[in-house]
Amino acid sequence: MPRKEESPVQEFLPLPPAVFHMLLLLSEGERHGYALKREMSKQTNGKLNPGPGVLYGSINKMLEQGLIVESEERPASHLDDERRRYYRITPLGRRVAQAEAVRMRQLVEMAETNLGLPEPA
Amino acid sequence: MNDPLKLYRFFLKLYPARFREEFGTPLEQQFLDEYRDAGGSLARFAVWLRTLRDLAVSIPVEMMREVRQDLSYSIRIYSRKPGVTFLAVAAMALAIGATTGVFSVVNALLLRSLPFRSTERLVQFGNPFNPPDSPASFHAWRSHSDYLEDAGVYNQSEMNLAGAAGSARIKVAETSSNFFGVLGSEPVIGRSFLPGEDGKGKSGVAVIGYGLWQQFFGGDPRALGSTIHLNSSPLTIVGIAPPGLDYPAKTALWTPSVFDLERIPKSGVIWRESFGRLKPALSLARAQSMFDADRLHLSPASFKEDGDVRLIPLREQLAGPVRRSSLVLFGAVSFVLLIACANVANLLLTRVTERRKELALRASLGASRGRLVQQLVTESVLLTGSSAAAGMLVAKWAVRLATAAQPTQSTAQNYTILDWRVLAFAAGLAAITGLAFGVLPAWLIGRLQPAEDLLRTCYDGSNSRVRRLRSALVTLQIASTLVLLGGSIVLGRSFLKLLGTDLGYRTDHVITMNVSLAGTHLDKPELRNQYYHEALDRLRKVPGVEAAGAIDSLPLATNAFMGMDADLDSSYKPAFSCIMWVAPGYFDAMRTSVAAGRDFTARDRQGAARVAIVNEEFARKAGGNQAALGQTVKSLFGKPGTGMTIVGVVHTVHYHADPDDKPLPILFLPLDQNPHPFMTLVARVHGTTEAYLPVMRAAVQSLDPQVPVFDIQTLDQRLEQALARPRFYTTAVVFFGAFGLLLAAIGVYGVASFSVIQRTHELGVRIAVGATAQRVRWMLLRQSLPPVAAGVAVGVLGTFALGQFLQHLLDSAQRVDGLTSAIAGGILATIAAVAVWSATQRIVRLDPMQVLRSE
Repeated sequence: MPRKEESPVQEFLPLPPAVFHMLLLLSEGERHGYALKREMSKQTNGKLNPGPGVLYGSINKMLEQGLIVESEERPASHLDDERRRYYRITPLGRRVAQAEAVRMRQLVEMAETNLGLPEPA
Repeated sequence: MNDPLKLYRFFLKLYPARFREEFGTPLEQQFLDEYRDAGGSLARFAVWLRTLRDLAVSIPVEMMREVRQDLSYSIRIYSRKPGVTFLAVAAMALAIGATTGVFSVVNALLLRSLPFRSTERLVQFGNPFNPPDSPASFHAWRSHSDYLEDAGVYNQSEMNLAGAAGSARIKVAETSSNFFGVLGSEPVIGRSFLPGEDGKGKSGVAVIGYGLWQQFFGGDPRALGSTIHLNSSPLTIVGIAPPGLDYPAKTALWTPSVFDLERIPKSGVIWRESFGRLKPALSLARAQSMFDADRLHLSPASFKEDGDVRLIPLREQLAGPVRRSSLVLFGAVSFVLLIACANVANLLLTRVTERRKELALRASLGASRGRLVQQLVTESVLLTGSSAAAGMLVAKWAVRLATAAQPTQSTAQNYTILDWRVLAFAAGLAAITGLAFGVLPAWLIGRLQPAEDLLRTCYDGSNSRVRRLRSALVTLQIASTLVLLGGSIVLGRSFLKLLGTDLGYRTDHVITMNVSLAGTHLDKPELRNQYYHEALDRLRKVPGVEAAGAIDSLPLATNAFMGMDADLDSSYKPAFSCIMWVAPGYFDAMRTSVAAGRDFTARDRQGAARVAIVNEEFARKAGGNQAALGQTVKSLFGKPGTGMTIVGVVHTVHYHADPDDKPLPILFLPLDQNPHPFMTLVARVHGTTEAYLPVMRAAVQSLDPQVPVFDIQTLDQRLEQALARPRFYTTAVVFFGAFGLLLAAIGVYGVASFSVIQRTHELGVRIAVGATAQRVRWMLLRQSLPPVAAGVAVGVLGTFALGQFLQHLLDSAQRVDGLTSAIAGGILATIAAVAVWSATQRIVRLDPMQVLRSE
């Protein structure tokens, strides 16, 4: 599959919420697709709950963009299901996720200055 | 649901191939995980709903992504071979464009709706059929018919229109009062003619065409009720015809004076035509037999004399001769399309073969055939899509050419590509050719070639199925090209014969112009001749004019002739002869030689002995040139005792630029003894003919500005117009033939050259063990020729079939003989051999050691 050369980080921004979430989850460690989906759904109270097609579509795109790669390391055989694919974040993916976080922080700071934000409940 | 995975797998097939191959297993796995996690049946139902939504969202996204990738990949691949790609696309563009262009003509003539109600029930009565010719008897006849719902009658002529807004020369139809009712096309403003308005003295009303209303009255509704003059005769406008209605033959004004012909003075031959609307649900064949019975009842004598008279569907009548020629062109472009498609198929096959190793490897790793087909679909869609887009420019150009070469009889029939049928045709053509010639061969190969076979054959360099398919494509190209070449030769020879026809006069250095005295103050017998004398004198005085004369029916400009049975005083009676009025100097100006006797002179005037000249065809029927001289014409126009003596016999001329034109027996009358209101002035000049056009017009116009001088052209220009249509068809077919030949040569070259690349190793071995490069080239030539020979054989049969078809369609088409086929076959075989020979040129430079080392 053709992969892009590393592009300037800014070109990837803003990231779709699902992609940002997946990058954040993968920065904690390797995961397979279904695990990504479950955790994402849990963290967002079911608001981000992509079906298989949308999930693997996003994974496909991230693979093409070089934000993640398929991991060759597998879990211990008694825990592994060979049909599952594991993914890990690349250095580019990490930088992109950081840049997105910075962008979001700037947005939040601007909102705070302009609107004033209430304390979280 | 018993097996949810089975159903889900079915849906997975809708994803594009690469995504499915890459993620099919994890997708299934995740679906199963979700399904199992769901537990109860309600929750599982919810999983299905979510999954269906997910499929609906993600399938189009992935589809688009892969199409985009495949497209950019294809563009990269094809731009590496710009020459081959350009040629394939250009060939397809030309073929699709030309086919679309010709289709737009067929569409305009045969498919698009006409501005009439239920056009399929409208028929034209063939000639010679004359319905009853008084208003009362005509209307009684049409309203008591058992096969006609209604019928109308008209005659058409050109007249001078004068009104407050200026003057113009327009086509006028004098009709029966029910004309618009029969067509089922009522005026958009005002009314059509009332019953009885076609009676004597009541026909002073007119309906004008929409275009004339816009041009002449600026679309002002106050045009209704205003008075205009046609050849000086006043008419009141009562209606405006709907846009697009200009039946018959680009008529701009209709007036109900067909039974009151004296009402508007006019010149030329009056030819009455009739048309009808058949009763509903009546077949044409049934109507024809009822019409035959009706004719027998109306006039048993005419029925016997006239022979068969056809009822011609109006659409067919309007399409006229253009219909047949367009079908010939349509056939020709279809062959070009076939040849171009074979080229694209070859290009795609080359790509498949080049990628064999990659494909074999992918196949052995479990890649699906679908992936290959998907890529090839994209490639062929890209190729045919860009060809179709470029082809629309060709189509536009073809339509412009066709419009110039074969103007239609109605603006409603104008050729255009901006019509849904034409655009759908072009799109359909691109899709079908793309699929049939791009995907099908590749799919067949994929299907016939198991993966391990593919893997094996990619190393031994032979792939018999691909080779056979390519050979079949060569055979198809050669056969199609041969048919096209045969057709080109047949039409080309017919056209050369046409150009070589001795017309019986010389068209160079002749100026012609029409003058019409109808409706002017000069339209009196005693004034007419005076005018013509002065006009001809003025022409003769223009420096450089060698001779000048006049005739009422100029060759190349006349379609209808006035004729009658001319009785001579000898026992021989020529059947039907045309009558023409001639002013002295005409035969000299036209360089029509006098075969016997003498030409008219200024002495053949009113009061002198009455004389006539006949042509050789007339004389032949009267017993020969010498026998005709001195004979007396006993009666003319039914009046006996004309006392006219034949004093000369002139060479027979072709009235139309057609070698197969049947010569007409003609009786020429001196104008001075028989004044005529409409003449064409003819002058022979020295030097550049076109330079005389304004001078001559001014010379005649200055005589009396009220007399319209129009249609001023050189005789060469008239000949050019007469030849425009056959020239267009011949040039088009010969061009297609040559283009087909070029494509076929490229096809053969491509196959041979690819075969050299594929067999480099084998050829290297042959040379290494002692064969000479020339010998190897001969071997390749021998091996390349069987598909060519097969193509020639099929093509020869095709040319004979085509010859029959062409002769059926075009009367002037020459027979396809053995010689034509032999010439075409010979040309093609030679070109194919040259193509193969040059494709194998690289063998001479082949270093066998290098080849063997590289393996």
